[in-house]
Order: sequence, then C-alpha cells, then structure tokens
Amino acid sequence: MNSRKIVIEPVTRVEGHGKVTIKLDENGKVDDAFLHIVEFRGFEKFIQGHPYWEAPVLVQRLCGICPVSHHLAAAKAIDQLVGIDPDSLSPIATKLRRLLHYGQVFQSHALHFFYLASPDLLFGVDAPAEKRNVVAVATENKELAKKGILMRKFGQEMIKALAGKKIHGILAVPGGVHKTFMPDERDYFLDGKQIPNIDTMIEWSKEIVDFMKSYHAENAKWIDSFARYPSNHLSLVHKETGALELYDGRLRSIDARGKELMNIADIEYSYHFKEAVEPWSYLKFPYMKEYGRENGWNRVGPLARINTCTHISTPLAEAERKIFKAYTKDFPNNMTMHTHWARLIEMLHCAELMKELLLDDDIMGNDLVRKGTTRNKGIGIIEAPRGTLIHEYHTDDKGLITKCNLIVSTTHNNEAMNRGVRAVAKDVLNEKPEITEPMLNQIEIAIRAYDPCLSCATHALGQMPLIVQLEDFKGNLLDEKVRS
Amino acid sequence: MKKLDHNTIIFGIGNNGRQDDGLGWSFLALVETESPPFDLEYRYQLQIEDAELISKYENVIFVDACKTKIEGGFKLYPCVPEDNYSFSTHALAPETILYITKKLYNHEPNAQILAIQGENWDLKIGLSNIGEGNLVKAYEYFKDEILSKNFILNKNY
Repeated sequence: MNSRKIVIEPVTRVEGHGKVTIKLDENGKVDDAFLHIVEFRGFEKFIQGHPYWEAPVLVQRLCGICPVSHHLAAAKAIDQLVGIDPDSLSPIATKLRRLLHYGQVFQSHALHFFYLASPDLLFGVDAPAEKRNVVAVATENKELAKKGILMRKFGQEMIKALAGKKIHGILAVPGGVHKTFMPDERDYFLDGKQIPNIDTMIEWSKEIVDFMKSYHAENAKWIDSFARYPSNHLSLVHKETGALELYDGRLRSIDARGKELMNIADIEYSYHFKEAVEPWSYLKFPYMKEYGRENGWNRVGPLARINTCTHISTPLAEAERKIFKAYTKDFPNNMTMHTHWARLIEMLHCAELMKELLLDDDIMGNDLVRKGTTRNKGIGIIEAPRGTLIHEYHTDDKGLITKCNLIVSTTHNNEAMNRGVRAVAKDVLNEKPEITEPMLNQIEIAIRAYDPCLSCATHALGQMPLIVQLEDFKGNLLDEKVRS
Repeated sequence: MKKLDHNTIIFGIGNNGRQDDGLGWSFLALVETESPPFDLEYRYQLQIEDAELISKYENVIFVDACKTKIEGGFKLYPCVPEDNYSFSTHALAPETILYITKKLYNHEPNAQILAIQGENWDLKIGLSNIGEGNLVKAYEYFKDEILSKNFILNKNY
C-alpha cells in the first residue's frame, strides 16, 4: 500500500531532540506513527575502565536537567561495591541524600509544569505557536510565572547547598556523603529572609494542585480522553508499607485494572526485565519477561507512582491522592494527561518531605560515611522525576568498571510514548487533508506528558531549528518547513 | 549564601564534556583566576530562573561557544530583549531571558554576548586547538578592554 510520511523534528519543549514520523496511507489515513529517539547513549561503554568511585560524578553528564537523579542512582550502586546496602548507610547520610533528591524532584516538576506544560493548559492546543511557550506565560500570567521561577529556584538552591552547585555537583561518595548541612544553610530555607521559605513552597504547591483540579473540572472531557490508553504501571514503593517512595524501595508493577504483576526487591530487576530493540529507534523497549514484549511494558513516572503506591506518607499530598484516586473509583488511572495532576501531587509531597528533613537536626550530624566488605556488583534504583531509573555496575578486583547497564525513565516510557503518539495521530489526523500546526502540537503534547528527557546534545549559539518534513512512501521529500 | 554585592554577572554557558562547547566555562575559569569584582555563574543551559537572577544586576555578559565562523575567533556584541520563543526551553536564548526579565521584573540591564568560535563538539573533555586559541584571544581582549578598566559599554567590540 502506498504511504507518505510527515516528520516533525525535533519535538518542541521536551528535554533534548526527538523526531515523530506519522505514516499516512494513500487515502490520507494514519497507517502508523513512531517516536524516534536519536539520543547518544555511549555512556555505558564510555565509563568502562574508569574506577568505580568516578561513576556518580561521570554519569551526571548524561543530563543537565536531572543530573542529581543519575548521581544518586549511581551512588546507591557504588555503595554496594564498598559493601554498604541502603539499610547500612548512616541515617544522616540517607537523610541528606533524600533531601537532595526531594529538592531535585521538586525543581524538576516545577520546571516541567510551569515552563513546558502550562502553555498547553493555559492557551490550549489550538493556540498559535508563538503563544504556546513560556514567554507567553510570563507575559500574560506574571504571578504564576514568578511563583514557578521561585519554586524552581528553591529546589535548585537546595541542590546547590548540598552538592556545591546547581548542576553536576557532588554530595554522595561511596558509602555515604561528603558534607553535612550547616545551621546557616538550614536557616536559609526556613527563615524566608533571602528566598521564600519552605512553608511558602508548600502553600504554593497546594495552590497549583488546586489550580489543576479546577482546570480539570472545566476541561474534563479533553483531559480525560486525550491520548488515553490502558497500560501497566511500574515504580518503587516503600518496602514495608507500600507507600509512595522516591529514593529506596521494592519494585511494584500493576496492570491497567490494578492487578499486581510484580513485587520484587529492586536488586532483582535483571531477572525480571528484558529490553527489546527496534530498527527505527536508538531507545530500547524494556518489558517484564514473564509477560512478554506485547503485554509486559510499563508506564513510569508520576502517574505510575500514584497508581502503584498504597498511600502517601505526608498529610497534604495524601489528601490530594485520595481525591485523585476517587475520580477513578480507586482503580488505576490510565489517562495520560492526568500525569500533570499526579506530578503536582508529588511536588506537594516533596515540599512536605523537605520541611520534615529541614526540621530534623540529624541533617547537621557528622556520621557521614561507612565501609563494608567490597563486592564486584552494585545496583542502584531510584525514582527520578520522570520515573524509575536503574544503574548497574560491575568491577574487576582493581575497582575498575567492567560493565555498566543504565535503564533511564524515558526508556521505560518508550512504548507508552509511542502508544500515545499513535492514539493521538489516529484521533486527530485521520482523513484530514491538511496537517495543521495545532494538530501536530497535539502529538507533541502526548509526548510532553511524560516529560521525556532525550539527553542533551551540544547547544551552541545559533543551532536550534525545528524542521518539518513531508515524505512519500518511497522516502522522497514532498515538503519541508524550518522554524528557527 | 553569597550576597549579591556586585553589579555585573557573567554567565559561562556550555558543557565541557562536549569539547569546544565548554568554551564558556573555560572562559569563566580564566576570569576566576583574576578574582574580579564580578559574579560568575556556570550554566549548562540558561534557565528561566536566570531571569530572576539577572533582575538584580546592572550588567550581564553571556559567554558561549559559537559554531559560526567569526573573523578573529570571537565577538562581543550587545544583547537586547527579544520575544523570540525557543523551541526547547532547556536552551532559552540570552535575548529571551532578557525579555522575561523585562516583562516580569521591569528591569533591563546592559547586556552583552561574547561568542567564541569553536571547532569540535564530540563527547570528550578538552578544547580543540582552534577553540583554545580563540579562547586565549577572547580572554586577552576581555582582560585588556574590560577587566582592567572595570566597565563595559553597550556597543559592538
């Protein structure tokens, strides 16, 4: 059958570059749709031969948006190489790492909501391109934009206080952390003299959740149906209670109706997962071996986490989780756009957790590093802002890395994002004679819900075009548009 | 925490894990050795919260690598607020940041861009010979014309 292709490259407002190809048949109907990921994944090879203690520093270079997540996942794995399991880490080191992690998730969620998602929500999918961006949000919603900036800044300042700098700083060392929190650093986040304090962060986080609920009430038809499809959901949960857990726990997967598919110790992941490859993408497709490639894939990230957990440990976020769950009568929520809602509940949770830790004198303690008997294999799994992040390292007897395996959140969501693209493409592009910009934007919105991080390439001045290509079934270029 | 007691801030933008994309950082590292009366900020990418930071300064200089060929290897030129939305917010342009600063904080600092031409952009630490040479030229110019005089005018250099 004849077909032609429409190519959008790169996808706008996602972290990094991707390309969407929508294949139309000779009748103008959507034949298929693909999200191609062309990120460079050389780190697993690049890091071989390096001493293990370099890993938490080197792997941060994977990304400029969530380097803390890579730093901590690698650190958890490297702890095991020096004989320290998560439960053996000093409570002070654990609390400081958690504080760093919550600051990271908080700022990342703020970044995504205020700067990437809010233009879609505030101005709608049919708004002109020049309006669907953060500049328009800043121009027309100054107070919202200012709050977003200060929330993002709060998280970034937390990272800077703990890791020395906002991007690619260092807190974790093998078996612990290298610095404690100082009283003046704690006061900076509590007294509100230089930046809005943690209580303000909680208040604003609650306001944003309320905004999202109101938005949903007014736009339920679109929000509920857009890019909706059933899926499994995967995340860490608390080892004993099953609560939402971002730093350390068991891996739990449930299906679209809530049936538990997997509940394992995180370090057993490799016995339960495989990664499929497709010729049209560099990004692999992880799935649970027991359920196969077709039925064993998972969504990860905020929506998955709220679905898999039994409850949330902090009161305000738990109250919001109950409202969120009540909407689907306690069944898993498979509505892609509700990911934004779930993300904001997590942002509130992180603000509450940061306050708990800031008021805990342990964060100024000095029992920072522990050592055990060295091993040759370490696995670190955390919940990064975008979802489950897995780091695994093997070393030789000299401590040099011989093997590394990384499964990043966006990789877990690969199948989910492709399903989203297909669902929207078939819904909005079918039998339309013209491919309009709002229609293309809906494809991008389906992808953006996952906040994909496609890894950062070189960004030098003057190099950021958007290219839209139209190809026939033979690959001949029919049309091309470049926005720069 | 550091008090904002200087009226000039210099942003070094880039990634030193990508060869000459690290020119902005390398430039700041050189400036840092002079203990200048400026505030220095290393950035992988300009982010929107930098608009809030910039609102506290009178002078801003953005230093970044450039792929385009520049006669002499570098160029210092004025940067003015511009509503040129970016296709990817992880890489907000200096002009856009200034525009947001103006819109949100009613502040428009004197701003310059120092573009330094690079050559290689692979996943590797270390500047190319051409990048290194252009860095030295840009820094010597900056040291003689701006650092030693401790002022900056909003004009082409």
